[in-house]
Amino acid sequence: MEPIDIGIWVTAGLFLVVVLGMRVAFAAALAGLVGLVWIFWSKKGYAGDDFLWALTVAVKTAGQVPHSKVASQALSLIPTFILIGYLAYYAGLTRALFEAAKRWIAWVPGGLAVSTVFATAGFAAVSGASVATAAVFARIAIPEMLKIGYDKRFAAGVVAAGGTLASLIPPSAILVIYAIIVEQDVGKLLLAGFIPGVVSACIYGLLIVGLALTLKNFGPPVRGFTWGQRFRALPPALPIVFVVVTIIFFVYNPFGGDAWGTPTEGGAIGAFVVFLMALWRGMRWPQFKDALLETARLSVMIFTIIWGVLIYVRFLGFADLPGAFSDWITSLDQSPMLTLVLILLAYAVLGMFMDAIGMLLLTLPVVYPAVMALNGGEFVSAEDSAFGMSGPMCAIWFGILVVKMAEFCLITPPIGLNCFVVAGVRDDLTVQDVFKGVTPFFIADAITIAVLIMVPGIVLWLPSFA
Amino acid sequence: MAAHVPVLEDDSLLSRLDRVLYRVERVLALLSGLAVFALMVLAVMSVGGRNFLNQPVPGYVDWIQQAMPLIAFMGISFTQRDGGHIRMDILIGALKGRFLWAAEFLTTFAMLILMALLVWGTWAHFQRSFDFAAPMWSRDSSFDINLPLWPAKLLAPVAFSVLCLRLGLQLWAYGRAFVLGLVEPVAVPLVQSAAEQAAAEAEHVSGADG
Amino acid sequence: SEALATEWNVSLWGKRRAFTEHVEKLAELVSEKTGGEFTLNISYGGLSKNTENLDGISIGAFEMAQFCAGYHRDKNPSITVLELPFLGVESLEQEREISMALYDHPAVKADLARWNATLLMPSPLPQYNFVGVGDAPRTLDDFKGLSVRATGGIGAAMETIGAVPTSMSATEVRQALDSGVVKAVSFAPHAHMSFGTIETGSWWTTNLNPGTVNCPVVINTDALNALSDTERTALLGSVDEALEYYIDYYNNQTMAKWGPALDERGIERVSYGPEEIAAFKAAAAGPAATAWIEENSARGLPAQELYDFVTGMVGQ
Ligand code: NA
Ligand code: NA
Repeated sequence: MEPIDIGIWVTAGLFLVVVLGMRVAFAAALAGLVGLVWIFWSKKGYAGDDFLWALTVAVKTAGQVPHSKVASQALSLIPTFILIGYLAYYAGLTRALFEAAKRWIAWVPGGLAVSTVFATAGFAAVSGASVATAAVFARIAIPEMLKIGYDKRFAAGVVAAGGTLASLIPPSAILVIYAIIVEQDVGKLLLAGFIPGVVSACIYGLLIVGLALTLKNFGPPVRGFTWGQRFRALPPALPIVFVVVTIIFFVYNPFGGDAWGTPTEGGAIGAFVVFLMALWRGMRWPQFKDALLETARLSVMIFTIIWGVLIYVRFLGFADLPGAFSDWITSLDQSPMLTLVLILLAYAVLGMFMDAIGMLLLTLPVVYPAVMALNGGEFVSAEDSAFGMSGPMCAIWFGILVVKMAEFCLITPPIGLNCFVVAGVRDDLTVQDVFKGVTPFFIADAITIAVLIMVPGIVLWLPSFA
Repeated sequence: MAAHVPVLEDDSLLSRLDRVLYRVERVLALLSGLAVFALMVLAVMSVGGRNFLNQPVPGYVDWIQQAMPLIAFMGISFTQRDGGHIRMDILIGALKGRFLWAAEFLTTFAMLILMALLVWGTWAHFQRSFDFAAPMWSRDSSFDINLPLWPAKLLAPVAFSVLCLRLGLQLWAYGRAFVLGLVEPVAVPLVQSAAEQAAAEAEHVSGADG
Repeated sequence: SEALATEWNVSLWGKRRAFTEHVEKLAELVSEKTGGEFTLNISYGGLSKNTENLDGISIGAFEMAQFCAGYHRDKNPSITVLELPFLGVESLEQEREISMALYDHPAVKADLARWNATLLMPSPLPQYNFVGVGDAPRTLDDFKGLSVRATGGIGAAMETIGAVPTSMSATEVRQALDSGVVKAVSFAPHAHMSFGTIETGSWWTTNLNPGTVNCPVVINTDALNALSDTERTALLGSVDEALEYYIDYYNNQTMAKWGPALDERGIERVSYGPEEIAAFKAAAAGPAATAWIEENSARGLPAQELYDFVTGMVGQ
């Protein structure tokens, strides 16, 4: 059997064991290991004596992956960005944001849900991980929505969808992962995510208002806050501005001088600022220990997926499946824009079955060069390009599109991490409930993607200054 | 805050072993969290050192690379104990009784075989970087300040061995549940009943408030 | 059973570039000479991480790989002698000749044999130099307090003139230069172009020449021994031609682009007088060599002999 065929069979097997309920990280690692044994053994013509050799080589090859892949400076942004999220919870920022959003916006139809979306967007400016954001807001926003009669599935859906904003609005762990894979400037990508994140939040908000106007018994508006109450809600949320400014100065100094450091350092300094804030707000060892344990739990879950999927990717490398895909994509005889849209659709389908980070790790080494080639190459000028933007700008634009797709896959069944997390935090909700509640947001995400494709300026305006 | 489900306890040997192992796992996970915190402190020192003393932390990247395996591996068994590694539970969530325990037993068994093989593979990875005869026992060191890499590489087989113990306990628990036809076995993550959920939630909400 | 055609997997990294042209050429020649019976299947990063190519060779996961000695000096101490600062190697041809001779040294062969690896050929690179931002350092004194991205022997050398070496991954280099975290970055010209340092930089040191890195191509010894005579002849007999192609490509294509690339961006060329370079060399070269010899003698290598072997060839 050809390596490519082995690649296809093992991939089918991976989907089977995932559906059977094996934990995803380990299913991917197992598929990778089995695939490696198969490939090495096939090289020896499946001779009986050679099975043990093939097993040994495969196990040792797979055994390199966990340490070698996680011992990376760039990936260190992920746990720091997660820690910020949990510390911000203890610094009272989550509650303060939600309270401020409620007093200022909850008077619109579907008010509390709209407030939740904008509070998650605000929190996204300190949190780098979508799952962490969904986790803390499931705790704060869902009970309030239930209290005034929201459908519990919709309330959960709002939080799961709102959580995805954390990965567009900087800081963002997944934008960092994209930047690393395609070797682009992390700072520019982080800046580029800001406006699309805000646009995405506004589209979520409009969708909720629309639903509230058309559906009976949807959550009622919350009125009656005085202007005094509104302004009093602002100061507790202000520290978030301070954190945002810190992170921006580390990525890009708006006053034209040197930035203060690398994004990695910016993330860590942001976390440190929030840490001091949490101490000031009364966080002590028991709460701090809790934050550390939760950070460890989420980090280890993500890293296990990373190395598990990368064992599988290592096997794909030996099977040369990415190469075959790349040849196929570039041989297509159709307009580049149609190909791009098809690629994004493929991400939507793949995203149903995969976790966001795994999906990017798996596909970008193949898809990114193909997209750059579609546009006319890495160094093409805007005039000569297919999408009307220079090579480096195309890298940024595609990055934001693909991260938005990756965020979309965090809320699509059957594997949607944000929905799992919300269901996990709220014991009265099953995963199926959350998936039902989040369905309307698929439309909002489709609209956002279409807007970002048609008006690339939304993505490219801010980084063009850096 | 993140997804985890309760694990029942009683006076059986299995449950006592579960709790002993859980204590070990908690300590390892806390080490991992402290490593994240240490990264943060290190960055503050690096920035401060560079901007105020013109003397960055020597080998900043090397230290980060040493800390990352601590963060990535040490909590792996802790997370498995509470059911925190994600999976698709559409099919398995629909199963009941012996079918459920049989399915759990099989996927856990597959995990155990995988992790046992990976203990071997990651141990071999460690061994290639370790040499009793060499200075600092090191046959592979970091780029800038030449920290030996073997301690960080050793963390993978250590953490994976603890996970193998955990998987062994879970196999025992699922096997026992299958044989005895139990409804709520100890020492494995369960899906809660509605009443218990409400109680647990009330207890939680009255605790820390953000 | 039918005889299987021999297919070797080759683990490189990054993308196809001047640095990998000899392997690409070798693959072409070997396939040609054996009528397609023996092929080299080159993978850019799919089979291993670059710092673990030697591990992959020792496991037997793939049959051929490229790596740089400085990635892991404990794994291959014997060949790091070629990365010592100020050895005085002046051309790619000389770098190739000395590398090939050293790769044949019994102590070096034994060092690599621990990894079940046989050294096939070098990937000669020119001397590293700095691209930087801000005021150009016109004298070596100006390097005092300057934060630079320089690793290994080059970093150690820069420390002797008061520069502050800062470490970071290659993907952060551009960002660090943009943001002023480092003021200068040392690479070979092809890397300055591919990592985009010249997009930000305003000056380039033409003749600091503190040293370079040594990046051999190795093969798994068992796989080499398992080749038929025809296959082995085709492989080993193509090395010279592949290296000639590589050096010609680097000198006539990459270096030809380098000058115009600097001019296009208005990058200033900074050169240092012979006395200054001599003083730098005196401060950096001697101590680095002494330290290297001492450390590697402790490892049980004939370090003095290897050092004399290399410097003797340079002096010729
Ligand atoms: Na964010
Ligand atoms: Na999904």
